[in-house]
Amino acid sequence: MIDLSLERVSKRYRVQRTFDSRVGSRGLLQRLRSIGRRSDEFWALQDVSFQVARGETLGIIGHNGAGKSTILKLLSGVTTPTSGEMRIQGRLSALIEVGSGFHPELTGRENVFLSGSILGMRRREIAAKLERIIDFAGVREFIDTPVKHYSSGMYVRLGFSIAAHLEPDILLLDEVLAVGDAAFQVKCLDRINELHRQGRTIVFISHDLASVERLCGRVLLLSHGRIIANGSARDVIEKYESVGSGYTTSEHAVVAETTLTHEAEIVSVACVDGNDRPVTALRTGEPTRVRVRYVVHKPLTDAIIELYVFNVSYSSWCQMTTASQHGEGMPLGEGPGVVEFESDELGFLPGMYHISATIIHADHQRGIDWQHQCLTLRVDPGKFVRGSFYMPHRWRSVLSEAKLYSSPRG
Amino acid sequence: MTTLWQALRRLAQYRDLFYTLSVHRLKVRYKQSVLGPSWALLQPLSLMLIYTAIFSRIARMPSDGAPYALFAYSALLPWTYFATSLSMSTNSLVSQVSLVTKVYFPREILPLTYVAAALIDFLAASIILAGMLFFYHVPLTAQALYVVPTVAILTMFAIAVSLMLCIVQVRFRDIGVALPLLLQVWMFATPVIYPLSVVPAKWQRLYVLNPMVGIIESFRRVILQGAPPEMHSLGIAAVISALFLPLAFVCFKRLETTVADII
Repeated sequence: MIDLSLERVSKRYRVQRTFDSRVGSRGLLQRLRSIGRRSDEFWALQDVSFQVARGETLGIIGHNGAGKSTILKLLSGVTTPTSGEMRIQGRLSALIEVGSGFHPELTGRENVFLSGSILGMRRREIAAKLERIIDFAGVREFIDTPVKHYSSGMYVRLGFSIAAHLEPDILLLDEVLAVGDAAFQVKCLDRINELHRQGRTIVFISHDLASVERLCGRVLLLSHGRIIANGSARDVIEKYESVGSGYTTSEHAVVAETTLTHEAEIVSVACVDGNDRPVTALRTGEPTRVRVRYVVHKPLTDAIIELYVFNVSYSSWCQMTTASQHGEGMPLGEGPGVVEFESDELGFLPGMYHISATIIHADHQRGIDWQHQCLTLRVDPGKFVRGSFYMPHRWRSVLSEAKLYSSPRG
Repeated sequence: MTTLWQALRRLAQYRDLFYTLSVHRLKVRYKQSVLGPSWALLQPLSLMLIYTAIFSRIARMPSDGAPYALFAYSALLPWTYFATSLSMSTNSLVSQVSLVTKVYFPREILPLTYVAAALIDFLAASIILAGMLFFYHVPLTAQALYVVPTVAILTMFAIAVSLMLCIVQVRFRDIGVALPLLLQVWMFATPVIYPLSVVPAKWQRLYVLNPMVGIIESFRRVILQGAPPEMHSLGIAAVISALFLPLAFVCFKRLETTVADII
């Protein structure tokens, strides 16, 4: 049973020249003439075809501007395709923005009715589900105060709660999980899973590759308005990270800052595998080595070499350092040298990371060299885990008998 | 391309939303100010006082035998309903950009809720009209029942014009800017502050093509004079509204699909 079907759908936007740009420098006559003139065209989607079966969870990923939101707008009916055919079977609800339709002066209760009916529920339906919606959002004490007094967290929880109690045949989700704290995101994902178990069809658009891999059986990869991959979640995600994002692990030598002492210089930072060969990508949970080459101009007695690893949004980072337990540095002799950072199990989840490297004096008063984002690291799915980071671990089953089972080392 | 029938069915499906949003419009006004709900009454009332002072006292405008205040108010009431519907609906799509670009629902609901809110205001303000009729000892006859079809025609026309204005406003924001002036001119082209009888005979043929003429004149006549409505002009108004409404609706639905793209 096919719930959703797009056949050769294309969407063209005409980029409008606004009439009031540079007021005065264009005569009135010119502006009147420009009403009829054709404006620039932009094809947000070209020749897109795919189908979604009943009960399937489809993920759609791609770089910004690839056309993901356009597909969502087409599916939810906010806009219509320029050409091609779209077939939708069943009731469809789209959750593009949490709290859509909320009016700040109305109470939470009133807004539940307002937002619920905007999203397509009948008043009777909302009234029947009202208590459950309030409980799920956890805002019972404040349900009768105007939402302008709500914290952003409460606002988002109430908005999502209303949408979570829609019972559409097809549910469209767009980045809505990006807001809210971790506990809330868990709630969202649980609810989505429940809808999936109920046999509803879900289309999920997101940049959060871990969630996409977790929730979706099949994934589409969009690039510049076209589908360039359509397959299992893991395959397509890997393809995205090598093609869609355009980065691989690489080496750069970056020009140094002038406020540093430059008694030593970092020459390059690279990731290598067990055979000392540079690698293009690492995997979660697998052994990793990062090699830092440097050259010392003036002998140092208390140098510390550090690597800073940031994720793409700079929301999460960690550090690797040669500093001892007590923060002491090491002596570095003149000339070239190599330092290697090693880890048995890489703690990063799949994604893109930037590495910056630095050499400093142990007293942290003076920087010797700083190479900003000298390495871009791509981490592919390895061992499948959830969370913000991977915690290296082993396990064994402890039985009352003498037999012991354990995981393979590493 | 959905047919007209499908579009109407879809609209009926969303009647709950229409009800909720209309109530919402009224509630919001109530919550935001002390004067909120009474504005519905103040507007025609204050206009009536001003016009009475200017046109009756100073300019000595004839008023078909009735006291000028009553004469003016009984026309201002339906006129205010019309003007408010238009001015609020015109910007209805543009002011709710986030809704229009994020959620699907039949867009015509937005202007319709403003017309509904204006209708409620109209009904509330007619209490004052009843009071004034009592004060001036003007009896109501059975002809006053013609008010119902007259207001129905007025509503049809108001909806038609509102639909056209709000969808054009999305592309050409000049409409919203020009509207107050347009309404002012339109009011002077309608027998609100003056009676139909002062319009020169040679202009009357053209004059009655304005649907508001038939509506306002008939409204006033059946209430103040206890006479049947001015059939000629009201008939024109009815025909124009009946033709314009489906046309405006079809036009709206055609342009609706591009609204989210250009808003």
